[in-house]
Amino acid sequence: MSTQQQGSTDVVVESRLDDTWVTIVWNDPVNLMSYVTHVFQSYFGWPRAVAQARMREVHTQGKTVVSSGGREKMEVDVQAMHSFGLWATMQRSGR
Amino acid sequence: MRGFEARGDVAVAELDSEERAVVARVIADVGLLLDGESFGMEREQHEDAEEELFRHLRGFEAALSDPEDPAVLRILPNAAPTDREVADEFRRLTEPELRATKVDRLRVMWRALSEDGPEWEVAADQAMATAAALTDVRLVLAARLGLDTDEDAEALHRELEMAERAVATGDASNLAVDPERIWLGMLYQALSWLQESLMTYVMRDDV
Repeated sequence: MSTQQQGSTDVVVESRLDDTWVTIVWNDPVNLMSYVTHVFQSYFGWPRAVAQARMREVHTQGKTVVSSGGREKMEVDVQAMHSFGLWATMQRSGR
Repeated sequence: MRGFEARGDVAVAELDSEERAVVARVIADVGLLLDGESFGMEREQHEDAEEELFRHLRGFEAALSDPEDPAVLRILPNAAPTDREVADEFRRLTEPELRATKVDRLRVMWRALSEDGPEWEVAADQAMATAAALTDVRLVLAARLGLDTDEDAEALHRELEMAERAVATGDASNLAVDPERIWLGMLYQALSWLQESLMTYVMRDDV
């Protein structure tokens, strides 16, 4: 692969990533582990084991990225998390 | 108080009349925080189109910036703490709907607890809405109790255990804790326990 081609690919990747956002769920002392697990399962469609692992990540690491995509899609996800009373935020995906 | 258990197609908990009154009261308080309107005193729905319109406008006005009350901020958090423009737009777009959803869920729960009899019945398809409403009530209580971290929650747990022991041994007079904090803390724990029992019901078939 030529250097020039490599360069042009990078530009495309960069502009795509610029538009990528993530939704983050943060740890809080109020939400029950069972409840968070079920919200993850029912909203994101994850199997129980996956939902449980992600819930534990929130609990032990303080946060987890639950979804990524365009800004509007992330607004939908954050609104859903807030509707359930989870502490969620959105930000541009860090490269 | 008895936690939720499956009975046919519904989940049923039991609260005596005093417990129901306390829980209904705190639910109504959270509704008031979110909506500025008292449950049980609503005017007929859409009776007055103009009033309805003003209510919506007030909702939009409220949605322009972060709520000042830390308890309301817990229920309607900032969606982008590092990006003011994103946070403000999110609030403008979503807050009226989020407030309405939350107030409606609280009102349904308040009505169920305002009925006569010790049983609190929750239909299977209402169970998650009830769990979410209980979460909002607990978020407000937690804000009032200053529970910001897991350590704060553990400290409250120890305080309540101490208070319980002091009462059991008749030593309550020496207790160096605020009785109102103990009361709020016990209510918080009771609602956590109720929600946990409801989640056991909700997740009975999860795989």
